[in-house]
Amino acid sequence: MAQRNLEKQLNILDYALSSLWRRRLKSLSLLLVFAAVIFLLASFQMVTQALTDKARQVLVYTPEITLQKMSVGRQEAIPLAYREQLAGIFGIRRVVPRIWGYYFDEVRLANYTVMGMELGEMPEGARLDTTLSGGAMPGTDERGRVVIGQSIKKALALEGRTTFSLFRPDLSLTSFEVSGEFSPDTDIMTNDLIVMGLAEARDLFAIPAGLVTDLCVYVANPTEIETIAKKISATLPSVRVLTRPQIQKTYQVVFGWRSGFGSICLLTALAAFVILAWDKASGLSPEERREIAILKVLGWETSDILAVRFWESVLVSGLACLAGMTAAYIHVVYFAAALFRPVLMGWSVLRPELHLAPRIEVGNILLILAFTVLPYLAATVIPAWRSATVPADSALGG
Amino acid sequence: MLIELSGVSKIYNQGKANEVKALADIDLEVEQGSMVCLKGPSGSGKSTLLAIIGCIFPPTSGRAAIAGRQLARLPDRFLTLHRRETIGFIFQRFNILPELTVLDNITLPLLPLGVPPRERRQRAEELMERFAISHRAQFPAGQISGGELQRVAIARALINSQPIILADEPTAHLDTVLSQEFMEIMQQLKTTGKTIVIASHDPLAFEHPAIDRIVIIKDGSIHVP
Repeated sequence: MAQRNLEKQLNILDYALSSLWRRRLKSLSLLLVFAAVIFLLASFQMVTQALTDKARQVLVYTPEITLQKMSVGRQEAIPLAYREQLAGIFGIRRVVPRIWGYYFDEVRLANYTVMGMELGEMPEGARLDTTLSGGAMPGTDERGRVVIGQSIKKALALEGRTTFSLFRPDLSLTSFEVSGEFSPDTDIMTNDLIVMGLAEARDLFAIPAGLVTDLCVYVANPTEIETIAKKISATLPSVRVLTRPQIQKTYQVVFGWRSGFGSICLLTALAAFVILAWDKASGLSPEERREIAILKVLGWETSDILAVRFWESVLVSGLACLAGMTAAYIHVVYFAAALFRPVLMGWSVLRPELHLAPRIEVGNILLILAFTVLPYLAATVIPAWRSATVPADSALGG
Repeated sequence: MLIELSGVSKIYNQGKANEVKALADIDLEVEQGSMVCLKGPSGSGKSTLLAIIGCIFPPTSGRAAIAGRQLARLPDRFLTLHRRETIGFIFQRFNILPELTVLDNITLPLLPLGVPPRERRQRAEELMERFAISHRAQFPAGQISGGELQRVAIARALINSQPIILADEPTAHLDTVLSQEFMEIMQQLKTTGKTIVIASHDPLAFEHPAIDRIVIIKDGSIHVP
């Protein structure tokens, strides 16, 4: 009996396949539209996941605590003298001054992120040396040497040269020599970054002596970050204290928000598609009505006709899912999510050329299936019930 | 008796404004191995009577027993199951699905029975050979001649070895030669013990010597001349 039932389902599946083949133009167009919707949704999901992973991986190099001075709700330069007040807080390993800002290159119409630090002062493990693909970080006594990100290299069109110049605020030029470049793996954070010594950054932005944009605090025990942050807030009430977990969360929220926004737009497209599928499934052409009536006279039950519809829908949605997800993977991995980069990574004029590695999680696949295949199955099989109840006697003459 | 109808009537849309009395008080008995022709003009109720005999729906009232089963007591699902095992249908214009191959059309009734592909093919090949259409097995049914189409329809009606063959206006759209050929095949089937009921108002059908009895249907009732 079980063998007979299995054979029956195989026969019905076989008929569903041949039915799809007979209406191949219609089936193919349906499959392509559905695959396109799944491709967009899956791409968003994968690129968000990959970006979040990438950010988490790169944020390891950010200071555990960053201090910025706030005045009337805005950030302003922070006095170096604050370091002395921090010296009394137990658990702080090192406080490194930093000048962090943006340089707008009017010639190339690009925005660069400039970071000036006494790199030698950074503690072991937090140094940026490991993120370089070539060259070295400038030494403590090496003046005018910088490390640049991949897009800066392209924007400056160095092509073998190692020197370039930037304008100070008084429009006088200052020259730099490239001593190294960041690895493309860290593009998400370093793509538009120029790292130089603190003195060079102070000179470039004309920041007075004794002031920096922020202080980077490194702690002895990473599990104590929150406690130390609270102590700093208590000691320096006018200072904004940013911890690494907070920054990580901000990135996640930003990517999550962007992804969510995009997904909502795409779900609207999906809803439109499902409505279309419902409409298609609930209306029958005279040929389809005739076919159902013939099958019923020949001994097919209503449930058999429904099973044909079900298998047709499973095949279309399964194939669309496979094609859509594969295309999304290729889009994210080989084309660095080219379609969504402006939406998901719009914070920089120089957009990173990311090499994203999507993490495929069963949960994500199930989520996409739940949002695409299930509504499609419901939209095609439920109205098919009405279609399948075409009376058998309509195949007979008058 | 293989077919026994007693006081059978059929009313469509009963109790509604568009109620139609299609059959009234039909008594009919058909023995196994006989060939009966239901004769009458269009709209006389032939197809409705054929549908009741074919277990497509039960009568509104009366007693209908087909191959020993009372239809009135059978739920819709069991009517279908009984139809599968008992009735082979030949439709007006044959109702062959033109995009399917000849082989696939013939084996259609076997799919919901769970008959495996090899057995389906084997059974169909025997019938195709018998009706000289083996060379057309892989042709789409829409591309074969009217005569071949007729034989495909007959093969499909026989694929599950059903004891009763019902034919609804089978010669209505055939020329004289093909109509003759059809009736000759029916005659052959009759000799193998099949019970055949043909609904037709074509003289080529009801005047054929193989017909054992003509039942005249007029305005939903059996008309006795």
